[in-house]
Amino acid sequence: MIPVRTVGEVFDAIQQAKTGAPAYCTNFFPVQAKLQGWIDHGELWGEIGEAATLFFRKDSDFWHLYFCAASVAALRQEVAASPNLKAERMVIDLVGNELALGDLLALMESAKFRRYTHLSRMARAGHTDPQDWQIDGSPVVRADKPDCAAVLDLLDRVFDRYGEQLPMRYEIEAAVEGRQILAVKRDKALAALLFFETHGLTSTLRFWAVSEQFRSCRFGSALMRHYFATQKAVRRFILWVTTDNESAIQKYRHFGYAPDGLVDHVLVNELIRP
Amino acid sequence: MKSIADILGRIRPEFDFTASNDFIGDGMLDSFDVVTLVAELDRNYGISIQGVDIVPENFQNLQTIEALLRKSGVQL
Repeated sequence: MIPVRTVGEVFDAIQQAKTGAPAYCTNFFPVQAKLQGWIDHGELWGEIGEAATLFFRKDSDFWHLYFCAASVAALRQEVAASPNLKAERMVIDLVGNELALGDLLALMESAKFRRYTHLSRMARAGHTDPQDWQIDGSPVVRADKPDCAAVLDLLDRVFDRYGEQLPMRYEIEAAVEGRQILAVKRDKALAALLFFETHGLTSTLRFWAVSEQFRSCRFGSALMRHYFATQKAVRRFILWVTTDNESAIQKYRHFGYAPDGLVDHVLVNELIRP
Repeated sequence: MKSIADILGRIRPEFDFTASNDFIGDGMLDSFDVVTLVAELDRNYGISIQGVDIVPENFQNLQTIEALLRKSGVQL
């Protein structure tokens, strides 16, 4: 495993795996800005092979595993040869349409990864919204820099760090700077938040959470209404949700989201215990 | 045979692809959509787009997708 030092190294490795690929496969869909952030913070490492490359992104006390390979067979070889997959705590996301993921799931399970959780992508259209999202008197504000620790703490409490790709502290600071975290505060405490990323006409709701002692105060609803009201140019809203979180799915459906067919199987290796 | 605009419209019906010159930059297509689009183009035109050509600049607008299809052997 060697540190990745430039975005160019990543694209070169991807290009190498793609060249002449009979059946290119990947779970690595990096946005350049995000990639640069990982590299700047020394989080991205790689095992670069001829027909397949493994990338490892450091999280708190485990790694996210990504791959790009000329074929499933090339990936199988690389996975079998990698010592890191047995020595380090690893999480892998396999994203795609359910029917297309069978081979990759079988491959990773044969490498002693086990299924940990399953997410589904939901989407809603922006322009068919029949409601006028009123936000007069809304308790919602933008999160400020001093809120970063509370944001991180709430995300840690409410979400699963292996399954839901929690942001690092610097990502939260950047999101606050970019006005991408909506908040409700009570007595200077963070009661609820909505963390989103808008890119052109598409907006991704990354996290929506209400602190335990403020449930049933309608803060979640206020945040969602504020989000829609302030993202008027957006034509497509998307989010990922764990498929066993029926309560969240019901709420998202209430706000017009529906599954769009894309799924994410999260698998972990043996070093991550239940 | 469907046109490129028809295929794009089926993948992301909420967008007007004739009104943009930068599908990726405008947030109309993400990486997952590009994978779906490649599969649809392959099926519709009976081709196999090479892995090396699956890069964002080839899916920026209708013209770049047309150029990619020509490169892949489609007579438009």
